[in-house]
Amino acid sequence: MNASFRRRMLPYVLISPLVVFIGALSFVPTADTTIEAFFRVMPLDPPTRFIGLGNFRELFTDPVIRESWVNTAVYVAIGVVLSVVFGTAIAVALQRRSRFRGVILAIIVLPWALPAVVEAVIWSWIYNPTFGVMNSALHSVHAIGGYHVWLGLDRWLTILLIEIVQVWQITPLSVLIILAALQSIQPTLYEAARVDGAGPVAMFRRISLPLIRPAIAIATVEALVLSLNIFDQVYILNGIAPLGSSIMLQTYVTTFTDLNFGGGYALSLLVTLATAALSMAALALLYRRVEAA
Amino acid sequence: MADAGTHERTARAVTRVTEGPAGRALSGRPARALGRIVALAVILLWSLFPIYWALNTSLSTLSGSDSTPVHYFPSPLTATSYRQALGIGGAGAGISSQLWRSLLNSAIESGAAMVLTVVIAIFAAYAFARLRFRFKRTIFVSVLATLMLPAYATLIPLYRIMASLGLVNTYIAVILVYVSGFLPLAIWILYNYFNTIPPELEEAAAVDGAGPVRALLRVVIPVAAPGIAAAAIITFLLAWAQFLFPLILTTDISTQPVTVIVAALNQQRIVPFTLLMACGVIAAAIPGILALVLNRYIVQGITAGSIK
Repeated sequence: MNASFRRRMLPYVLISPLVVFIGALSFVPTADTTIEAFFRVMPLDPPTRFIGLGNFRELFTDPVIRESWVNTAVYVAIGVVLSVVFGTAIAVALQRRSRFRGVILAIIVLPWALPAVVEAVIWSWIYNPTFGVMNSALHSVHAIGGYHVWLGLDRWLTILLIEIVQVWQITPLSVLIILAALQSIQPTLYEAARVDGAGPVAMFRRISLPLIRPAIAIATVEALVLSLNIFDQVYILNGIAPLGSSIMLQTYVTTFTDLNFGGGYALSLLVTLATAALSMAALALLYRRVEAA
Repeated sequence: MADAGTHERTARAVTRVTEGPAGRALSGRPARALGRIVALAVILLWSLFPIYWALNTSLSTLSGSDSTPVHYFPSPLTATSYRQALGIGGAGAGISSQLWRSLLNSAIESGAAMVLTVVIAIFAAYAFARLRFRFKRTIFVSVLATLMLPAYATLIPLYRIMASLGLVNTYIAVILVYVSGFLPLAIWILYNYFNTIPPELEEAAAVDGAGPVRALLRVVIPVAAPGIAAAAIITFLLAWAQFLFPLILTTDISTQPVTVIVAALNQQRIVPFTLLMACGVIAAAIPGILALVLNRYIVQGITAGSIK
């Protein structure tokens, strides 16, 4: 082999492990999901055969799965709104330089770095009906008359409290993304505004907000994908109970408890398509506003 | 795809976030300064309280933790739960042997996934950032597109692939799945980092007779060390936190990571919360300490990795 041939082949050699990995373990499986969603796949009850939209029909007639779509929409709405609003607020609070910002940032990132399972176990203890700190603290400030069972009774309260656990974990992502955008704003813009007599609220609305919109779009999409796929927190805090169940939990139950792989494939495909569509929509919407601004 | 100018801005923004100068945005009168201190206190309380609460309970006695109203400090303070969880002094043999083994499994699976992901990502990201080849853009965009895919799009087929290869309940299955899942993000982080390095550095090496491979190994990798560290630590943390994939890919303690064991202990309902919190703190200790010590790289990696 001569040197120029080796040099020409070099890029292919460098990317070949990547192509093998992503090809075999991302593209092939995604294609497999797409195809098998239209087949009846029951490992304990063969044969596998083509059933067209049969799996999807079955999914839409199952009341638990139908409800879990609604639940997931609520998880996403709460997760996106809270993590982006908190993320923006915290980023703005940290915008001003301070000796402690490095330390504060390290602490803020901590919830993101810890396993969601461990966090959910901790929060389940916080929410504990008998010995939980939430009951005790709210009771001691007279916010509640008696101790409550927080999870598993009221559908929307259960979803809200589970999603707060996820918001606690993913808000640091929004903080970092939005803070980076805030830091790239020229300080002279704020100085000019201050000379014109603008207050902090006006400066945030007129200067910061338009310039951090792309970052908010990215934070929105990250929160959207994560909350649309919420599993760990629901599994730990709510088990496989139908009340408050998420669509990812139903995919798991359908596939690995009911052993209806075809149904699982169909649900996976729907979640994937929903994720892609919503991400694109959020990016298009928020990015277009930037151009208009 | 972001152009070179965006990358430069990103890199500058990242530097500012991590090193902290120059953000004199809002003016500081005393009332506002007080407001800022209150805001920071709320932020820190929100971030730290659940972690503090786990520590508090794990250091309490059973009767101290099961009290109404709750104690906000451990009274009396005891390390009994940690002794039980870690099997120090022969206490709690069943749980401690499971916990130790699962920590080892987590370390092997996350460590191997990190090394493989970073090595493969360095070569690929270098090729994407510096070399010319056919279908480069198509391959690059398709790899990054999988970032938008929920990991679970591949859950069932990956399980069936591993089952058909007889790899269920092996380290290999878990590691392969992690690598395929984390490669796109690692490549994106490294690609952006390589683009902030002036090509003149390698050109100088080329003048000295070094080929692209030597330039990569001798010039680019040392200069890109912070970016590589960011990709490595983020991959490790994501791998350590995995739950759903190991839940289906591992079936017993020979391969189950610590997340699966903590979830199982939680499900048993007979493990007291003091011991459960101690196990949780132990499971979160390694990522927690890494996150605090290597925070700079995490901030840099997340920031660079999210600017699309």
